[in-house]
Amino acid sequence: MTTRLRALWHDLVPRDERRGRRAALRLSASSTARSAEAIFLVLRRMRTPLIALIVVFAVSTLGLTLIPGQDADGNPVEMSFFDAFYVISYTATTIGFGEIPNPFTYGQRLWVTFSIYLSVIGWAYAIGSLLALLRDRAFRAALARQHFTRKVARLREPFLLIAGYGRTGELLGRSIDGLGRRFVVVDHAPERIDDLELDSYAADVPGLTGDARDPGNLAVAGLDHPSCVAVVALTDDEEANLAVVMAAALLRPDLPVIARVTSPVIAERMRAFGNPSTVNPLDRFGDHLRLALRAPAAYQLLTWLEAGPGAELPDRGSPPRDGHWVVVGYGRLGRELTRDLRAEGLAVTVIDPGPDDPDAAADRELVVGDGSDPAVLGDVDLEHAVGFLAGTDNDTTNLSLVAAARRINPELFVGARQNSAANAPLFTAMELDALLVPAEVIAHEVYAQLSTPLLWRFLRHLPSQDDAWAAEVLGRLVGLCGTRLQTLWKVRLTPDEAPAVQGWLETGGARLGDLLRNPEDRDKALHAVPLLVLRGDEATAAPDEDFVLAPGDELLLAGWSAAERALTTMLQVEAVHEYVLTGRRVPASWIWRKLTSTERT
Amino acid sequence: MNLEKVVFGFFVVLAATLNFGFFIGDISRPELHNQYELYAAVVVNLIATVLKFGDRTQIGAVHLATSLVADLQLIGAASMWVYADHISSAGLTAGWTASIVSLSAGALVANIISVVLLVVETTSSHRG
Repeated sequence: MTTRLRALWHDLVPRDERRGRRAALRLSASSTARSAEAIFLVLRRMRTPLIALIVVFAVSTLGLTLIPGQDADGNPVEMSFFDAFYVISYTATTIGFGEIPNPFTYGQRLWVTFSIYLSVIGWAYAIGSLLALLRDRAFRAALARQHFTRKVARLREPFLLIAGYGRTGELLGRSIDGLGRRFVVVDHAPERIDDLELDSYAADVPGLTGDARDPGNLAVAGLDHPSCVAVVALTDDEEANLAVVMAAALLRPDLPVIARVTSPVIAERMRAFGNPSTVNPLDRFGDHLRLALRAPAAYQLLTWLEAGPGAELPDRGSPPRDGHWVVVGYGRLGRELTRDLRAEGLAVTVIDPGPDDPDAAADRELVVGDGSDPAVLGDVDLEHAVGFLAGTDNDTTNLSLVAAARRINPELFVGARQNSAANAPLFTAMELDALLVPAEVIAHEVYAQLSTPLLWRFLRHLPSQDDAWAAEVLGRLVGLCGTRLQTLWKVRLTPDEAPAVQGWLETGGARLGDLLRNPEDRDKALHAVPLLVLRGDEATAAPDEDFVLAPGDELLLAGWSAAERALTTMLQVEAVHEYVLTGRRVPASWIWRKLTSTERT
Repeated sequence: MNLEKVVFGFFVVLAATLNFGFFIGDISRPELHNQYELYAAVVVNLIATVLKFGDRTQIGAVHLATSLVADLQLIGAASMWVYADHISSAGLTAGWTASIVSLSAGALVANIISVVLLVVETTSSHRG
């Protein structure tokens, strides 16, 4: 997809591209120079120890040549420079070969004793300084940066650039790794980058400790690398995300950018830079809740597919469709939820200790008070409510609110917001009907957008379908592949990727059902469900068996990875395809084909 | 006045003067070339080289390069002396002396370039 995009963009804005490229090149050059600077600093700091060592050697050697010695016959001889240097070298390094070429006189021994102590101090100083430098933070950072730069520059496969490796980044990284794709991480916290090595990824993940707001860091992390396919801004700082979006839009206008955002103001500012895709977890949760209210099966399918390979089928929640809802906390989430619930025609009462929003004060259904106060909860008629949402930004409050609400009315549909990953076991133990974990919502959403464009298309298609349709698709998926999501993959029926079926496709009678058969035994179905067929710009969601395929179609399938391999063989090996289509075993090798054809004639 | 500059200038100039002192005299007569002078030239040149480490400027890079050239030639001359004195059966002949002194002459050129650079650097720096 990217190459196509890039070709298009080359044609449209070549000048912009060159400008962006140049800027990016300058950036990476300047940041390389910065890492080299640290090396110069190290050299400069090694000056004194090295000079000390040279002086110690020079003085010791010179002294030894000046002090008169004796040969075996008692004649006075002077040591040559070479002999003296040799003796001092092995003495200073504590090797000690003895007294050569002649046994020393007492004068020489006195000098050598002095030299030994002098050289030990010299060596200790030099080696100590070197070790201190190796442990020096600036030096290590420079080394790590160089190592990282080399690793990123050597990447030859397409990769994602993830800015911000918090909980969300980790979840996303795991799904991306599960797809067999590469990614590069930038985070300002060194411990997060250290965690990268502990996390068991299939591929090596280069990580840089640095501020993502610095375009130099992004450039080193591969923003100007030709294989970079997308930039994802997931830091917990809205400004930093905005900075990443800006840098990506200005330096690489061709790259798709996905950013996490919670404030509408920042989202608006991001939109000024190209058209980044923004993910607002609070907004998404509201949308999901609406979908769950309207079409529980569609919601179940959506969450399952978004969760990525290996996910268990989630339970189908059934939020009450009519009745009275209570929302605690009128922050961003509370406002979003209230609006969504009211849009579905439900009556909502909001509890908040002191809404700062002037619109909220005008809300007739707003109860001002602390939600955790039992008296306030009693006021809102929880006994006759059907749904309760604890949406404050404090996990303890949310948990206690849920417990209190359950005590008053055990039949309630209860939802809550989980703010910290550490509290996940508590929220799981509560067995909530709906749980908002912002990190997971973002990770799933970004995964869906990045895994394949077809999945994203399918998911966007979902809310407009009715519940019975979604239930039917879900039934097919579970029936064929079980309750654990296996693989999602894409098949292109082009002459390159599916040479064996081109003739069959052109007949105009190519039923989808005929293709999805087991190549070992054609009476059995292949363990794969087609989710989407894309022809040109027209998408058909969940096509049935009688759907007629055409050359060039793109298919999104979900199923076992064995089925993926089988389907690939079928599309490429004519003999296999022939068997699947007609039940006739055709010899695959040239010799057998010759033999069988002579038999027949 | 900057002590670092004094030390730097001292060693650069001393390296050149010692080198010159060893070089001067009839090229083939060993008694005109003192081995202690060669030894001092090697040591001072090494120190001057280390002092030039870690300078990022263009002129600093050329400084370091000239010093490395001088080191190479002087150490070559010293090794030749050791060979002539200890290994060669003929001892320190006129031919060997000429080779040693001509190597040191090469080092002298490098050292002169170094001194010229030092002077250029000094005159081109503005007095504040």
